[in-house]
Order: sequence, then structure tokens, then C-alpha cells
Amino acid sequence: MNYDCIIIGGGISGLTAGIKCVHEGLSCAIISSGMSALHFSSGSIDMLGYTDNGDVIYEPHKYIDEFIDSHKSHPYAKCGRDMVADSLQFFQDQVANRNVEFFHNNSSNHFHVTALGTLKPTYLSQRSVFNEKVRNGFANKPSIAIINFEGFRDFHPELAASNLKRNQLFNDFEIFARTIQLSEFNNTNKNPHEFRSIDIARILEKDKNIERIASQIKEAAGNALFAGIPALLGIHDSERVHRKLEELTGLIIYEIPTLPPSILGMRIDDALKTIFADAGGVFIAGDKVISGEIDNNILTHIHTQNYGKAHLTAHHYILSTGSFFSGGMVSEFDSIHEPVFGLQLDYPKGRSNWYSQNFFDRKSHPFLHYGVDTDNNLRPRDKNGDTIQNLYCTGAILANYDPIREGSGGGVAISTAYFAARQIIEKCKE
Amino acid sequence: MKTFETDVIVIGGGATGTGTLRDCTLRGMKGILIEKNDIASGTTGRNHGLLHSGARYAVKDLESASECISENKILKKIAWHCIEDTGGLFVTLPEDDPAYHNMLMEGCSYAGIDVDEISINKALEIEPNLNPNILYALKVPDGTIDPFRLSAANILDSMERGSKVFTHTDVTSLILANGRVTGVRCYDKASHEEFEVYGKIVVNASGVWGQQVCESAGIELKMFPSKGSMVIIDYRINNVVVNRCRIPSDGDIIVPGDTVSLIGTTSRKIDYDRIEELVVDDDEIEVLLEDGEKLIPNVKKTRVLRAYCGVRPLVAISGEMEGRDISRGIVLIDHNERDGVEGLITIAGGKLMTYRLMAQMTTDLVGKKLGVKKKCTTHKVPLPGSEKRIPHQKKIKHFSGISNSVVGSTHYRHGERVHNILSKDKKNYGLICECEMVTAGEVEYAIKHLNVKDIVDLRRRTRVGMGPCQGELCSYRAAGLFTEYGDKDGTESTRLLTEFLEERWKGIKPVFWGDAMREIEFTYWIYQGLFGLGNIENNKGEPDR
Repeated sequence: MNYDCIIIGGGISGLTAGIKCVHEGLSCAIISSGMSALHFSSGSIDMLGYTDNGDVIYEPHKYIDEFIDSHKSHPYAKCGRDMVADSLQFFQDQVANRNVEFFHNNSSNHFHVTALGTLKPTYLSQRSVFNEKVRNGFANKPSIAIINFEGFRDFHPELAASNLKRNQLFNDFEIFARTIQLSEFNNTNKNPHEFRSIDIARILEKDKNIERIASQIKEAAGNALFAGIPALLGIHDSERVHRKLEELTGLIIYEIPTLPPSILGMRIDDALKTIFADAGGVFIAGDKVISGEIDNNILTHIHTQNYGKAHLTAHHYILSTGSFFSGGMVSEFDSIHEPVFGLQLDYPKGRSNWYSQNFFDRKSHPFLHYGVDTDNNLRPRDKNGDTIQNLYCTGAILANYDPIREGSGGGVAISTAYFAARQIIEKCKE
Repeated sequence: MKTFETDVIVIGGGATGTGTLRDCTLRGMKGILIEKNDIASGTTGRNHGLLHSGARYAVKDLESASECISENKILKKIAWHCIEDTGGLFVTLPEDDPAYHNMLMEGCSYAGIDVDEISINKALEIEPNLNPNILYALKVPDGTIDPFRLSAANILDSMERGSKVFTHTDVTSLILANGRVTGVRCYDKASHEEFEVYGKIVVNASGVWGQQVCESAGIELKMFPSKGSMVIIDYRINNVVVNRCRIPSDGDIIVPGDTVSLIGTTSRKIDYDRIEELVVDDDEIEVLLEDGEKLIPNVKKTRVLRAYCGVRPLVAISGEMEGRDISRGIVLIDHNERDGVEGLITIAGGKLMTYRLMAQMTTDLVGKKLGVKKKCTTHKVPLPGSEKRIPHQKKIKHFSGISNSVVGSTHYRHGERVHNILSKDKKNYGLICECEMVTAGEVEYAIKHLNVKDIVDLRRRTRVGMGPCQGELCSYRAAGLFTEYGDKDGTESTRLLTEFLEERWKGIKPVFWGDAMREIEFTYWIYQGLFGLGNIENNKGEPDR
């Protein structure tokens, strides 16, 4: 099997790169070992949310120049500001075709409300989290009902309501928590008190249930204008469910991400996979790339767990296997390595340097910065220090950025994927 | 200022303090116990949870060995739900002095400990993960004991019989009148209120912190703290206690406990002024893992979950700084005799295994001073939960409809009190913590009946957050339940969540590599990335433009 491009890792970064490649006519396969970080994401796309001092960034497109100047080895510096902007637009356009509509705040950041009632700056959000109506709605100091479905363990409205109320901006809002009961919970063999987000999302997705649920939400919300609910409004057709629910209740229905699995993130995962497959991409699920052959600084072929001795070859490769959690990097007692190719990583020796003393340290944790050190074209160096000419690294495996402290995870995943794909496309066309 | 009056004031909610409160209560005295943190949160909760047979002391300290085996037999009867009668092995490695094997057997028979020499094949049959290259193996009646359950059961019994407990409350000083201790001044750390308790006698059972308690009455009682570190490994890799047959040293025991196994222990002298800031050192981890691997080679392949340390208090009886007066045994001090201060008793030294005996000795002295003649019954009266012993299978049948693992775990942790916890209401047995099979009903019971004030306390009563994920999902769920079953609002519950995750982090830092690191990245993504928990304290609010 020979492809123009093989992508190792099927998360948001690998899929975005894959879609760009197949759209340009390249033959492309993605090898994915399992669920990706999208399954525990907020479902919003952060671009650049915080400065180094932890102050909120309002206009990321304006701030990015200054940011790149002071962060020369940051992935954004390698992509450049235009590439970052183009890539986010590309992403937004793509998923919109699959009924996942993203909104930004006239190119500025907006805030989304978390399950603990904190506000996080982000760039793109789904329509149930941010749109014109939500923005204007908040401006009128509405009363807000935060509603849960009785028995759902992974969302606690009292915590969200009480912390949100403590926020200066919401001090004089009326915010209250409510619970409603779903009758579906009575006729199931499974214990509904152990339902995960996905079990309830499947109930809410069904047409026959929506009118009754709408009237329950409306009753619970009382005089509120906003109903904040756990993000459970279906995976495949959430936009329709959301619109319908707003229509039936007359409320602004606001989705709040829950404990994993994240339904908001799964919508993105579902949309990206469908787009990729529809455009002719090959998605190989449940396999793991274990090694590759490098000859004369060229990655010639790779081996996977399932293919055994047979190997896969491509002209170009992308490595988007994520960070430690996803298995893109592995740490041992006192060292860290990249398990597929043994690429050179940037990290200090001595594991007591890898973390901060407090778990919620304002400076985050150093290990979040660690990753593969690449050249300006995102190409890594092998264990001998030679740059591999046809391998590109994208997303969370990259060094020199902290997705959480900067609020840049989605943006880096998408822009580096787009940048790598563009380079590969160019070379294939040569 | 609020004041309380009682017969006996006990300072310290470790095994000794809670045991003393119970003994006094059982003999008809009323008591009030004051604990600065949570029940079993000090030295009691920071050991390896070994139910000693006494064999570990059989060579060097026959008195301790005899005490251990006698208490071992008693505890198996009165506290069976806190105990697993696993049995234990002593194994000799090729590098160990083979003479110790015979010395141990001899010592055991002097002390009255049943010891059997068994073949290596038999040892491997009992413990298949054992190092097959061992030279000799001995079988002893070791077991495991859960110090949290044990202390909580002592408290529960005392409260049900009319005594009172204040946790998260500092004793700021002893109250003296005419050279006599008459009570204690207290500070409730949650409500920030001060109050006083007056009693006929004060028992200082605060372990290494007893030095400070005595100081406030002008009494010098020197403690010599020594730090012991342990490593917890994920999954229960052994089913019986595995000891190394040599003079007790670092890293020579692996104790199974609930769902995990534990490698113990190191021993390092520390300065008294450092007892509040103990940390496990990197080289201790290395020693424990290296030596643990010699006993059970699988240790190397197993994920390390966390590491922690406790502080053993050794007491200098006569106030000497060094020398033979430092006792390793039980120390019961009548401060009237020693220092001319009436109304104060200190009980210190000893070990978890002998907590009941220590409580008995203390209460005997209290009884003598207060003229209470009733004899000790704690060796006969079972603790709450251990009233009747009914096999798991029967319990599972009784609660049919609820999954076996839930009934089994709840019964395992709470014994007969499983009937106060589980009901056939689906909400009651809905799982909150999947690693340890903790239900909403168990959380409710713990918050309402077991003096649980925060999620860290809840962990000690139920094992919430003690499993492989270290509280990744269940800590948020538990925080939510505090608004329902406790008196906390959403903001307070959120603060408990932060404190819990910070507390868990302390034990993970020393073992921050491999899967522990992966798990932490995930936890950080959820609580900081997804929830913004770290931003709450300075929830300044940003205008939405």
C-alpha cells in the first residue's frame, strides 16, 4: 500500500491535515489507535486566550504578532500569523458542511461558561455556546437557570451556579440551579444514575422525546431567559435539536461541557471523520504504528501492530500522536522518549523539574511544554540529530507551547496540521 | 464563647485516641475527642496497614512480639471488617543471612506466634508472584488492617454511646487552674470559632504532636520523630503479606491492601520542626522499588500510584535528649507523678497494632483517678460493623438486584453497617467512584454519620479517589454530593475539590513518571483546561466584549 501521505494519529490535528490533503487530491491514510483528546475537550477552539502573565487576550489576531515576536520557537511562530488565520477559517468552513456550525465574536475571543461556573476565553464555539443571540442575551443581565437531568453524575448545576454568581460580571444576575427528571430513566435496565453523557445524548437526540423535554426545561427555567444545560444535545444532528429546543421553549439554550466523554468534542470528531472519509481518505482505526525505517534522512515505510511484517509506505508522513496522555510521548523513571521513531525531544533531565509544586500553579506545569523539537517547517530530528525530510509533526506532540496556560490547544493543533498539509501538497504537485 | 463539659477529654483522633475515647465510653464515662485534622489523618493513617503477627519483632523485641500476637487475635474478633486475614510469608533471598531464618523461628515460638516452615513450591503456590529464587519460606499469621476504618469505627461506637467528637479543631492550649489541668482551649478551623472544653481529666494521645500539647502546660516531653516512606503500586500484586527474612530494614515488606499493594518502609530521623512538611525523597522511592522488586519481580512492570510518608514518634521519658531513655514501646505518663501537674495523662509510643492495649492502659489509669471501677471490655465488644460475621455470599443474596461488586465492596468496608448504607433505590447504589466501587449511598452515609467534612475525609472513610485514577472523575462527583448531603454550598464544595486535588498531587509528585504522569496530564486537562478550577480563587471576572 502506497499513499501520498500517511498520518499517524487521528485526533483533531491529524484529521484536519488529512482533510486538507484529500481535498487537494492526495491519497491519504490516517492510522488511529483509539479515541482522541477531542473526547475530553470543551468543544470550543481556543486560539490564544492568555498572556504569559495570565491576563485574558481579547483580540488574538491582533495579539499574535507580538506573541510570535516574543515566542520564537512557538508553533505559531513557525506557521506565521496568516497561516493560523487561514487554517482556522478552513476548519470552520469544513465542519460547517457537516452541521457543526462555529461562531466567533467578530474575530475576537468570547467567553464560555464551564461546569464549575468559571469563564474561559476561546475563539470558536458551537452555536449552543456562542452566537449573536447568546451575546446580546447576556448583555441584558438575564436570569439564568442551570438545569441538570436528575441522576446525571457528571454535571452539578449548584457548583456552576454558585461560582458563576460570584463572578463580578454576574453578581447582579439571578442564577439558580434546577433538576428535571427524564421519564426514559424509569424504563431502562441500566442504572440511570450511572449514565454517561453519551447515554443521555442518545435520548435527547430522538425526535419523539423533544417536546416533552422542552416543556420540562421550560417549567424548570421559570422566568429565566437562559437555560444552561449539560452539553448532551446529541452528536450527529445537534444543531437541529438545539434549534428545536429553543423554538419550543422560547429560551436561549446554552450548553456547558461536562466530565468526559465530551459530547461537544465528539461532534467535531464525528464531523471530521465523516468529511475525511467522504472525500476519499482512508481511516484505519484501532491500529498502532510501532516503528519506521529511515534511510538517508527519508522515512521510507512504517510498521504497525496489525499489519505485522507488511508495511505501509507514503511519500510524506505526519506524526500527530498527541502528548503523554495520548501516547505521543512516553516518560520513564528519569527520561522521556517519542516511542515510534525515537525523535529528539526537548526536556530537562531530572523528573522533579517536570512539574510545579502546586497542582494549580499559576505558571502551569513545565511538562506541558515538552515535545518534539522541529525545524521551521515542523520537521523533527531523528536520534542522530538529522532532520527527517518527509516527516512533519503537528499538534500536541510539539514542544514549546502550553495549550492550557496559553489557551492555544485547538489553534496549534489546527494551524500546524494545515501548515504541514500545505507543504506536503506543494511537494506532491511538484 | 461556647463551653462544654465532660468527664474525659481526649486530644488526638488517631487509633490510640479514638480507642481511648471508646474504652472510656464503654466504661460509662462521657468523653470529648478533639482532632486537629481528620480521624486517622496523622501517623495512624500513614503506615503500611500491616496486621502484625509479631514475627517482625520476634528476634529483637520479644515483648512487642507477644503484644502483637495477642492483639492480632483480639482484633480479628472485634474488628474483622477492618481486617483481611491474608496470612504472611517471611522469605529469605540468596543475598540474605540464612541464620536469621532460624532465629526468627525460635523467636516466634518464644512469643507464641504460630510459624510454619514451608517448601518453596508451597510458598509459590500461596503467592505465585513471589521471587522463585528464594531459599527459605516461613508462614506466619500476618494480615492487613485498615487504620481509617478502625479509627472511624471506634469513633462511631463512642458517638453512638454518647460521646462527642470535634475534627478539624486545634487544641490551642491546656487550661490550668491551681496547678491542675482542667480543660482545653479549642479553635474550630472550619467555623473559625473558639471554644473551651472542661473535663475531669485530659488524655494527650496526639502522638508526635504531644510535645506541643505538653509545652502549653509548661511540661517538657521530647519526641524524636522518624520518617517512614511507602510506595503504593497499582493493582494488588500479592495476596499475602510478603516480608523479607532479615533484620528489619528499608523496603523489606509488601502488604496487599484493598485494590492495591504497598511497599514499605524507609526510616529516617528528622528534626522536630520539620514534621509538618514531610516529603518523600526521590532516593527513597528508588530504594523501595529496587528492594520490592527483589521480593516480587512484577513490581518493576507495575505502575506506581503514589508515595507517602508518616512520622513515628519516639519518646524520651525523662526528658533526656539521647540514650537509653528513648523508648520504642508503649509510654504512659501520669504527669502528676512525673511533673506534678494533675489532670493530664500522655499516652505515646507503641504502634497501631497495640492501640487497643494502649487505650486499655490509659483508661485504667483514668478510671483509677476518677474512681470508675468498671473493667475493660474492648477485647470482647465488637466494633460497629463487626457485630455479626455474615459471609459475603449471603449479603449478596440479601441485596440481590444490586451488583455483586457494589455489595461486596460496601460490605468489605463497613461490615454489618452495609445495611445502614445500601438500599434498593437506584440512586443509592449508583456508582460515584468506579475504581473503588463507591456509591452515592456510601457517600451520603459517610457525610451524615462518619464526621466527614471534606473530600479528603471522605476518601479515608470510603476510598473515593484512592484507586488507579486518583480521583479524576469521582472527586468532581463527590464535590457535587456535598451540596446535596452536606451543609456545603456550591462555592464551598468547589473549594473542597481544589483542596482534594492539591492533596492528591502531594502523593503523586514523587512518582511522577509513566502512567502516573499520563493520568496527571488528563486530570489537569479536565480540572484546569476544561473547568478552569485554578482560576476560581481569583475569580475576577472579565467583561465579555
